[in-house]
Amino acid sequence: MMKKVGEVVLLWLLILFIQIAAGEGYSPPGKPTNISCRSPEKETFTCWWQPGSDGGLPTTYALYYRKEGSERVFECPDYKTAGKNSCFFSKNVTSIWVNYNITVVATNSMGNTFSNPVDIDVVYIVKPNPPEEVVVNVTEDKDWPFLQVSWKPPKMADTRSGWITLIYEVRLKLENENKWEELSAGQRKIFKIYSLRSGGTYDVQVRCKPDHGFWSEWSPTTRVKVPEYLPQERSMWILIVVFAAFILIICIWMIYMNFHSVKHYLLPPVPGPKIKGIDKQLLKSGKSEDIFSSLVVSNFPPTTSNYEDFLVQYLEVYVPEERELIMDEGKDLQDDSFKTENSTCDNDSGRGSCDSHTLLIDKGGGDKEDGQQTDQEGSQAEAEAKSHEEVMEKEHLACCHENAQIPNISKEKEKVKSWPSLFSPLPQYSLSPVNRPNKPKMGNQHCLSDGLFTPNSLSSYFTQPGPSTTKSFRSNYWECSLDHKQSHLLHPQTAAHEHLQAENDLNVAYVDYMGAPLDVHELSVRPTEYVEVQRVSDEDVVLLHPVTPSHENSYTISHQTEDYSRVRMVNNNNGLLLLQRDDIEEEKNMCPYEEEMVSRATSTGCRASVTSTLPNSATGINTALPILDEKAASGYVDTATMFGLPTY
Amino acid sequence: IFFYPGTVKMHMAVYLVAMCRAVPVNDLLDRASQRSDKMHSLSTLLTQEMDSHFPPYGRMQMPRPADCHTSILQTPNDKEQALQVSESDLMSLARSLLRGWVDPLAVLSTNAITLPHPAKSSISSKIQELQEHSKSLADGLDILSGKMGPAAQTISFLPYTGGTDLGQDRVTILNKFNFLLSCLRRDSHKIDSFLKVLRCRAAKLQPELC
Repeated sequence: MMKKVGEVVLLWLLILFIQIAAGEGYSPPGKPTNISCRSPEKETFTCWWQPGSDGGLPTTYALYYRKEGSERVFECPDYKTAGKNSCFFSKNVTSIWVNYNITVVATNSMGNTFSNPVDIDVVYIVKPNPPEEVVVNVTEDKDWPFLQVSWKPPKMADTRSGWITLIYEVRLKLENENKWEELSAGQRKIFKIYSLRSGGTYDVQVRCKPDHGFWSEWSPTTRVKVPEYLPQERSMWILIVVFAAFILIICIWMIYMNFHSVKHYLLPPVPGPKIKGIDKQLLKSGKSEDIFSSLVVSNFPPTTSNYEDFLVQYLEVYVPEERELIMDEGKDLQDDSFKTENSTCDNDSGRGSCDSHTLLIDKGGGDKEDGQQTDQEGSQAEAEAKSHEEVMEKEHLACCHENAQIPNISKEKEKVKSWPSLFSPLPQYSLSPVNRPNKPKMGNQHCLSDGLFTPNSLSSYFTQPGPSTTKSFRSNYWECSLDHKQSHLLHPQTAAHEHLQAENDLNVAYVDYMGAPLDVHELSVRPTEYVEVQRVSDEDVVLLHPVTPSHENSYTISHQTEDYSRVRMVNNNNGLLLLQRDDIEEEKNMCPYEEEMVSRATSTGCRASVTSTLPNSATGINTALPILDEKAASGYVDTATMFGLPTY
Repeated sequence: IFFYPGTVKMHMAVYLVAMCRAVPVNDLLDRASQRSDKMHSLSTLLTQEMDSHFPPYGRMQMPRPADCHTSILQTPNDKEQALQVSESDLMSLARSLLRGWVDPLAVLSTNAITLPHPAKSSISSKIQELQEHSKSLADGLDILSGKMGPAAQTISFLPYTGGTDLGQDRVTILNKFNFLLSCLRRDSHKIDSFLKVLRCRAAKLQPELC
């Protein structure tokens, strides 16, 4: 009974002891793992392992190995040389081309644990030591430095006998960089590095590897500094850059100062049409009708803003219906006169420049009219535009001067003149060439009924595009001419004349008659005075007012409203010559025959045609007048300028 | 005239040696060692390729390398022994080993085509390359040995008795294949090592190589 109790107590104690032991965490050691072996020179090798848990108890490790072809198990001869958890195999125990079967055993009081066995062959696990004595020299070679790296193989590796064949690798980087540049050096022990950064600091490392093995660790870093070898070039380049920049600035400044001349040289301006009122775009489109329409309709006659200043004086242009329309008798005459004009004048030149025995030869009263013709045209346009209702036709004698030549151009058929032609019934004039045989050049004169100069004509002329106005104009012309018995309108040449007329519808009234043509008139030549047509009254009377022949744009209104002028004559190109009132008597005296003609002319039915159309004043007339004035003063009429003014 | 193959080879070797007299020995050795290096690299790649799809568990069951058909040839086991061997002997050893692998390489080449392995095409091409290198190296060593004395001419006969058939089942075939490749790897390393030792011994004019 007592023994049983003792056994039970022992059993209990044993169980308690075991429990206590288990409760404290004691256990056999864990399995060692990661057995790796390395040989630095193919003569010895070392194995390392990683211990497992020790189970809470002091654990010892043992390495056992077995060579191939033998069952003998050996234990590691040296656990210390290579450090903890390692085993070092010396030369004596190392064989090559022999498989080793290695096992590590962990042992503690609770038990032991075997690791997995590992088979190794020494020749396959060679990992040499890093190269030694790495020397980096900075060598100067023709001002281009380079690095020369030299080293020695690890001591333990026997490369002299060829036991181990090593190949090397060099790497370098700048000291503040992170990326290495690796260069293979083969079996050489000297390596040169070129293309260095001037003044840079480099870190150099070397490592080696056997022909069939593992790479060694990198050698310790060798730091070297490359001297500066670029300063001269840099300073020279800086000088060159500064100098070039300076020159560039100067060139830019010069171009800037002469920008316009350079621009002119490189991109010469394209001359455009000089005719005012001609739309360049229309010209480009190539439609002549449109171009001419713009010339005729909108801006004709050209006027300035203060055209009102022109119409100061009233001019009664009396156009008797029976009044003859003096026509160009012969085409030859016409041609001759035209030819002479052609020879001496051209369209673009001012009247003054024309060597013409011009317009008003008899300056006695006609001086004003000469210049006034242009004014009349312009003012007439104004009058039309303003819808003046009074046109007083007073006289109407316009002496068509023989050689009244409007320098502009009637000849030039292709040119369209923006000036309205001032036509006055000058039957006298028409007869004059007849009566003056010694005037061979009579041709150009046609005194037309006031249909030419009347608002009717003008209105129709102005409101409609050129060709149509010319037609209406011609219609008036025809009316007058037809009514006149003496008219030469029926002359077969009229057609040509008319054609010419039509073309010259916009004849610019001559402005200046500098010198009286010798062959024209025996009348005294008066200094030129200009008259502006202020307005056209309802009765087809053109109201004119004198204008001082100043060359500025003086549109002063003269207060000589009572001065009338009559049409002295119509020049070759249907320019209307007006005479002042005080000169009219003179004219009358001088041209008695003309008066007769005039009176007769007025009885024609031209008047009717004139009056009817008066109200229909064109709108574009006003703009023409002031320009007429100023241009008249300057002796040059530029059709372009005439039509450059805005219309009313 | 009776044409003996051996005699012909001898005469050819002498002729070739005469022809190649201009090429220095160390240079020839350098070329030979380069070729042997290439051979060993190929065999190493082969074993690695086999292991990629061949579970290593089979290693436990594999025949040990001591069972290689060339193990009967006594070769140095460490550096001291190896450095004590004469050049002629080293050359003989190298040539013997090389000669001993001609037949097994043919067997391997034949079985690689039908090898139950996913990388068999790559393995097959490598084995063929090995064969070419082996042939070329053998020819070169024959020439070299002509310059090294009579001992270099001695070639040990290492017959292969494994037969052309590696096995019936997949595991057996793969095991045998792997075993042969491991033997080849070691023997190619031996050849390479011997030739490199010979190279350094002959490179008195080019000490930088060694």
